[in-house]
Amino acid sequence: MGAKKKISRREFLKTTGSLAIGSAAFSMGLGVARAQPAEVKIGVIYPLSGPVAHAGKMSKDAVDLCVDYVNNKWPDLPIPIGQWEGIPGLNGAKIKLIHADHRGEPDRGADLAKKLILDEKVAGICGCYHSSVTKTVSTVCERYKIPMINPESTSPDLTKRGYKWFFRATPHDRIFLRDFFEFLGLLHEGKVPGVGAIPKSELSKIGACTENTEWGAGTREVIQEFAKKFGYEIVSDVTYPHESPDLTAEVRNLLAPKPDILMFASYISDAILLTKTMKEFKANAKIFWSQDVGFYQPKFIETFGQEIDGIMNRTVFSKKLFGVKPVAASINEEFKKRSGVDFMGTSARAFTGMQAWAYVLNKAGSTDPEAIRQAAEAIEIPGKELIVPWKGINFEVEGGETNQNTWSSGLIVQYQNQEPEIIYPVDVATAKFLYPWPGLK
Amino acid sequence: MEMLLSATISGLLMGMLFALVALGLAIIFGVMNIVNFAHGEFLMVGMYAAFLTATGLSIEPLLTLPVSVTICFILGIGSYYLLVRYLLRGPMLAQLLGTFGLMIFIRYLAMAIFGPDYKTLEYGLLIGKSIKWGPVVLSYSKLGTAVISVMAFGVIYWMMNRTRLGMALKATALDVEAAGYMGINTEKMRGLAWGLGGATVGIAGALLTNFYYVFPTVGMLFVMIAFATVALGGFGSIKGAFIAGLIMGLIIDIGGTYVGPQFKFALIYLTFFLVIIFRPQGLFGW
Repeated sequence: MGAKKKISRREFLKTTGSLAIGSAAFSMGLGVARAQPAEVKIGVIYPLSGPVAHAGKMSKDAVDLCVDYVNNKWPDLPIPIGQWEGIPGLNGAKIKLIHADHRGEPDRGADLAKKLILDEKVAGICGCYHSSVTKTVSTVCERYKIPMINPESTSPDLTKRGYKWFFRATPHDRIFLRDFFEFLGLLHEGKVPGVGAIPKSELSKIGACTENTEWGAGTREVIQEFAKKFGYEIVSDVTYPHESPDLTAEVRNLLAPKPDILMFASYISDAILLTKTMKEFKANAKIFWSQDVGFYQPKFIETFGQEIDGIMNRTVFSKKLFGVKPVAASINEEFKKRSGVDFMGTSARAFTGMQAWAYVLNKAGSTDPEAIRQAAEAIEIPGKELIVPWKGINFEVEGGETNQNTWSSGLIVQYQNQEPEIIYPVDVATAKFLYPWPGLK
Repeated sequence: MEMLLSATISGLLMGMLFALVALGLAIIFGVMNIVNFAHGEFLMVGMYAAFLTATGLSIEPLLTLPVSVTICFILGIGSYYLLVRYLLRGPMLAQLLGTFGLMIFIRYLAMAIFGPDYKTLEYGLLIGKSIKWGPVVLSYSKLGTAVISVMAFGVIYWMMNRTRLGMALKATALDVEAAGYMGINTEKMRGLAWGLGGATVGIAGALLTNFYYVFPTVGMLFVMIAFATVALGGFGSIKGAFIAGLIMGLIIDIGGTYVGPQFKFALIYLTFFLVIIFRPQGLFGW
């Protein structure tokens, strides 16, 4: 047994000091790891059941695809997220989506948002398709100070509430409707390819038919405002309850004054029932225009086949863009492989919205809500990295609106041989305008 | 005037569909004094049966009627023997919650099996065809539905009033104990009432598939009108269900045309409230 070694004061201080520094460094390390977790949860709220479930499912497929691109290496993808393997600004943290089904019910959407924020501790929310649900969900996000990026809800009011935590990527109905009335102006001036000048006297009576939730009501208001501003007469103005068992009275009232221009804002189930009922009435007018959504979905095309030719839609996406946007073609190919359908307006925007989320998280470099919010305010995503034909994504406070993407823009397409041909802006038109609308027989 | 004629005709046609959906509810309530909250889900099952048979066998949708009727008849009888007869031993609240639970069960089972997507039939003898005289439009599929609805009401009315089976059902409805003493198997009669309730809504489901889309919660849209129809006609009254169905169709179409489409459902429930206040037993109820 050797002699007991006495520890000097110097050695004691050296040992305990090293331990203290070591544990402090370890704690800091843990702290860093906490700020940059292995995964970032985003709550995604869409209608996954009920009559609009098809749109919800396409949106879900689109955001899932985008997250797959972000989380895994896709060397052939010609945009940065394909090379990321997680969020680079968060040390490669993967995005984890928590999906929830709001069934088209605003109250349920709000409850789900609360649950995702409080129980799942999501870093942010994405969704919700229906403007009415987006409205309640964004109010919850504002209350809990959690950022929300909305890819596709178009009621103009959503960005007029001064909300700091709500960001909208899509153009809204005021922008889409302005495009349509500008298109009518070009028609009168004879500047639309495929058709000569059409005098206003021949094309002046509007029949509007809108569903009665947030989105339809917003569209109706803007139609009334622009019709007055551009000198058109609204001869029938029909609103109807979403998911109605019968729309005969609505169609009768819409068509009775013989409008020249039919304008619709309908979800898919109503769009199908309206078109079937209009077919019974052998509806005819010179122009049939709709706010995308119900009339611009694979299910609508599948249901009516060649009868849809001549119907116009506002949108942000068309397969016809592939020629000028190869990135859209390449991502669409993978999307079609997984979901069985091509991208359309709704799914393309859902993809773009999730892409915006990835860029914002990358810029924030943290999961702190305030850091994410500031990153969203400052983000500038160039259009060449998007599948939609926009200048890009840049959320700005402008013209009474807060955090609206001012770099977004719309297209007007017309079904020709069941393909959505671009007819506006006229400088990127892919086909001549088919006029008048052949009607439903 | 032409608009009124057009609204009246299409209102009557839709009214016959509403009446047919309500008929099953009226039969079940009439015999057992129980409200079947799962009635809309029976309608949905009938629609899926028609849709899947027509598309699976590539046959004319009208030929799927017997399939829908049989499946919904079995569903009705099955619901009675496996669930409802046990509920009858409990308080009224248990009966209400029991059929409500059945509604949720069938709805979400359909959601799990068929998915949330909706489906439409794109071919058929009557689908998408109509005759138009000025503003008057006569849809073939709605006309076909109306004709078959009248026939179904005729058969049920005849059976209830002219056959021994109908008499036995009515006797069970009037006094179950006395009917039992007279040798009527009341248990069988109650099961039959559920079967008939299912079969009639199965007819409605098969016909509705000709002009409406199918999805797991479709029943809810029609059953809300069916409840108001049965209340208006008188719970348990077959004649009442028919007349009230027509009134509902007229309110929806004429009210929708002249008062405004946004008010048509408000008008239905206004009528419902007025009936509850001034004639709680309904137009033809006891």
